[in-house]
Amino acid sequence: MDQIINDLSHHIRLNKGFFLWMGFLALAFLACLYAYIQQLRYGLGVAGIRDYISWGLYISNFVFFVASSLIGMLISAVLGLIGLAYVFLYARFQSPILWDVTVITTYFVISLLLLFLPMIPDMAVLYKRFANLPSWLKPVYKVLSLNWTDHPEQNRIIHRSIYILLILIIPAALSIHTVTSWLFALTVRPGWDSTIFGPYFVSGAFVAGSAAVIIAMFFFRKNYKLQDYLTDLHFNNMGKVLVLVAFVYLYFNINEYLVPGYKLKRADAVHLKELMSGHFALTFWLVQVGGLLIPIVLMLFRKMRKPLPLTLISIVVLIAAWFKRYLIVVPAMAHPFLPVQHVPDNFKVYSPTLIEIAITLLSFILVLIIITLISKFFPVIPVVETAKEKGLDPLKSNES
Amino acid sequence: MDENTVENRDEQDPSKSSRRNFLKNIGLLGAGVAAGAGALYSGDIFEKKKAATGESRVLLTQDNKLVEVDSLELKALSKNPTKLMLEKGREGIEGRRWVMVIDLSKCRNARRCIAACQEAHQLKPEQYHLNTLQMQDSPGTAPYQMPKNCQHCDNPPCVSVCPVDATYKRGDGIVLIDNERCIGCRFCMAACPYSARIFHWTAPKDSDKHHGEAYNVELNVPQKLGTISKCLFSADRCREGKLPYCVSACPNGVYYFGDENEDAVTNGTTKETVRLSKLLRDNGAYQLMPELGTKPRVYYLPPKNRLFPFEPATDESPKEG
Amino acid sequence: MKKLFYILLLMVITLLRVEAQNPGWIVPDDQKGKICLVKFTPDMVKQGEALYMKNCQSCHGIPTKKNFAAIQPSPGDLSEPKAGTQKDGELFYRITTGKVPMPEFRNILSEDERWSVISFLRSFHKGYVQPDPEKMAASMGKRIRLTMAYDTAKKKIMVKAVELTKNGPVSAKGAEIIVFVQRYFGNMQLADPKPTSESGYAGFDWPQDFPGDKTGKVILGARVNDPTGSMQEAIVRDTLTIGLPTNKPSLTDTRAMWSTREKAPVWMILTYVLAVIIVWYFIFYIILSVLDIRKIKQIKKT
Repeated sequence: MDQIINDLSHHIRLNKGFFLWMGFLALAFLACLYAYIQQLRYGLGVAGIRDYISWGLYISNFVFFVASSLIGMLISAVLGLIGLAYVFLYARFQSPILWDVTVITTYFVISLLLLFLPMIPDMAVLYKRFANLPSWLKPVYKVLSLNWTDHPEQNRIIHRSIYILLILIIPAALSIHTVTSWLFALTVRPGWDSTIFGPYFVSGAFVAGSAAVIIAMFFFRKNYKLQDYLTDLHFNNMGKVLVLVAFVYLYFNINEYLVPGYKLKRADAVHLKELMSGHFALTFWLVQVGGLLIPIVLMLFRKMRKPLPLTLISIVVLIAAWFKRYLIVVPAMAHPFLPVQHVPDNFKVYSPTLIEIAITLLSFILVLIIITLISKFFPVIPVVETAKEKGLDPLKSNES
Repeated sequence: MDENTVENRDEQDPSKSSRRNFLKNIGLLGAGVAAGAGALYSGDIFEKKKAATGESRVLLTQDNKLVEVDSLELKALSKNPTKLMLEKGREGIEGRRWVMVIDLSKCRNARRCIAACQEAHQLKPEQYHLNTLQMQDSPGTAPYQMPKNCQHCDNPPCVSVCPVDATYKRGDGIVLIDNERCIGCRFCMAACPYSARIFHWTAPKDSDKHHGEAYNVELNVPQKLGTISKCLFSADRCREGKLPYCVSACPNGVYYFGDENEDAVTNGTTKETVRLSKLLRDNGAYQLMPELGTKPRVYYLPPKNRLFPFEPATDESPKEG
Repeated sequence: MKKLFYILLLMVITLLRVEAQNPGWIVPDDQKGKICLVKFTPDMVKQGEALYMKNCQSCHGIPTKKNFAAIQPSPGDLSEPKAGTQKDGELFYRITTGKVPMPEFRNILSEDERWSVISFLRSFHKGYVQPDPEKMAASMGKRIRLTMAYDTAKKKIMVKAVELTKNGPVSAKGAEIIVFVQRYFGNMQLADPKPTSESGYAGFDWPQDFPGDKTGKVILGARVNDPTGSMQEAIVRDTLTIGLPTNKPSLTDTRAMWSTREKAPVWMILTYVLAVIIVWYFIFYIILSVLDIRKIKQIKKT
């Protein structure tokens, strides 16, 4: 039992590596924060977005974060919509933005509870039995373990709560991706005006989310030496999941491009031409073929579902997922119904500025900081659950 | 029943009862003082009026009536002028439904309308509430110049998506923006199929000069960094009974503007007023992308029997200011 | 020197071109002599300036600034001698009748207003002396009085013109009458001008679908159209309840997706509020029951 506790919790300490890594993140954070302050001071003009392409990197990034269900999406939401308080003060029930803010808040709270609840017994066990628990973390664990004694009534409450949350998170997750897709699909723009945008985004989120989980699994396994607990079998199974969801996503992609491509209505034709052979063609084909088709084919082979190759494939898939959001957001804005005339050249073509890229990076850095902190202070893999799976009772052995 | 018991309890409790009476008395006293003061005040005003008559001012009321008021009766509104204008701007002019007709056969891209508009709304050269576009519907048809502004749709997709009621439609048809409330999410820009909206990416034109001025929602002035702006059908001019800035500035008689309920539009150049229904019928009027269901309030007359030959625009695109 | 020469050459060419394109805007002789019957006053000039800025400035620019529109034929700066040497009657005629692309102001400005615009222009013309109205009194036109009524049976607006002679009122024959309807941004001419009959009447068909206000009231006017200047200006205004009562509802009366929050579709408010209440009810329920975990420990202890 002690070994399990040690294995799963030995990473909870502040070593040299942690400080180096956090120092690096903090430096990068400050550099990017400077960019953000510039934007607050001089306005969005420091970014490359202009009147026609008015949503650029920021919104693409926001959609990506929603898709990969990272905590960063909340930060991103704050970055993107300054004056969030206003949204609630004058909120219009008819606006998809209100729905999105509502759904994201709800989803965030449910996720937080789902992260916290299974950890309560762990924290009680670690508080009592993990000798290496940093002393300054002890009071935190004591408070957060909520006087856990493994009382049957306590177990009943936790299990019932988790059960309800697991039911709640399904509609919440579907809503978060669907409502985010509606930010686009509820307009009349060619490229966005689509009835399948909801499921298209949901399936896309499954792909990005699964890839992100695989990368995180690999990273924790390597750095926190959890090989015995995150086995090749886990990776193999995750690989299968990724193949399945990628197939579904491919199916929606075919629908999304073939149906308007067959009819070639005027505005749709311009949009598709720009994507497939125009300004965005290189990105488009790299994303579709390199980021979706080839990974699917590769992952069909068992060898490719081993931890390292699967992680590499997942990284490619995740990067492609980011660019896919860019391709959904930007080209549709570049070609509105009416011609773009008598405006400066930088209104016609969008190219992100350095400041814009730095602010986008800022959100990634924040995500990394949050993940690092959480994984440094709390067990990544549930200790008690693992113990019980192996027929051990952590608290009982404690009492004996 | 309840009241009764309360009454009884009050009577049983002499301290409470007396307190109530005391309050009552205070109330009476207050009312008396107020009435007296009011009488005194009005008397004072009357005296002053007697003392200095003759200095009268002609003012335009909200319902567009000219009234003559003695200058003494005028007092500055204690209310914040921005707030006052915001409230006024939320309500349209009663009984009106503004409508614009653009005669494409007369447009020769003089761009006077654009200049007048940018001047009135404090816009930079690259910021258009109104822009003239070179159009060609298909390779076989002739090109033409098309002034394009906000269509003030009766089913405005931009207003639907606004999260905070910052952009709104009024009873008289005008779609306005409250820049004080706009959070700058740009969803309305994404939703507008006519690319009618602009955003203040950088500090607006002469923003230092206009800093601190009262905000006029019917003019979108002073413009505000990080918010949306667009054509307002010159809501401020409509209130005064004047034609919009662009309409009056056109040298070629392209624009008609008027009230659909009156079935009349007035040409901005010739000042000739004609029947809207007849103008639309006789010229085969159409709307921009009616298939989108936006129900625009702007009509176009097709570019037939043109007064001027088509000349491609030669002016360079403005640099970003 | 060379530069000056080129500029002069360019000016000559431009002038020639203008002349070539504008083969003359001939004013009938009997119109040239028309003059204003009152003396120009500073007030009149002021009114003229306001009217000029509203109606003329978009093409002719501000006088002396030479910022007139670059259109052909050139509108020109009206403070220049080209306008200054013209007689009052010529200017009046040109303003009244217009010539493409210049609009005719016959129905836009009243005679008085046209004269005040001329008085404003004259303030720029050095050496101009206004012809004495007193001396020209002999050329004063006939005095006409108009009355207007609606004939329900004929569905016509009947305008009667009466000439006021020394011997009393007499039906005026052949006076050209224009009927107009007041609209928000200006007056709308109802039909082509019509001369009065032997009995002094002119009848105008009243379109039965013409919108009036809530009660059907329409403000109408009639005046004598007199290009020859043989009559003094005469005008009559009246409010008649002959329009189609128009009381269209405000466009924001109905609940709609684009309406304000208060006027959102009912199903949308209900769906949103219900969904939020249901989900957050469970979330709060869970948070409260999880907090109960602490109490269980306490119960056990006591």
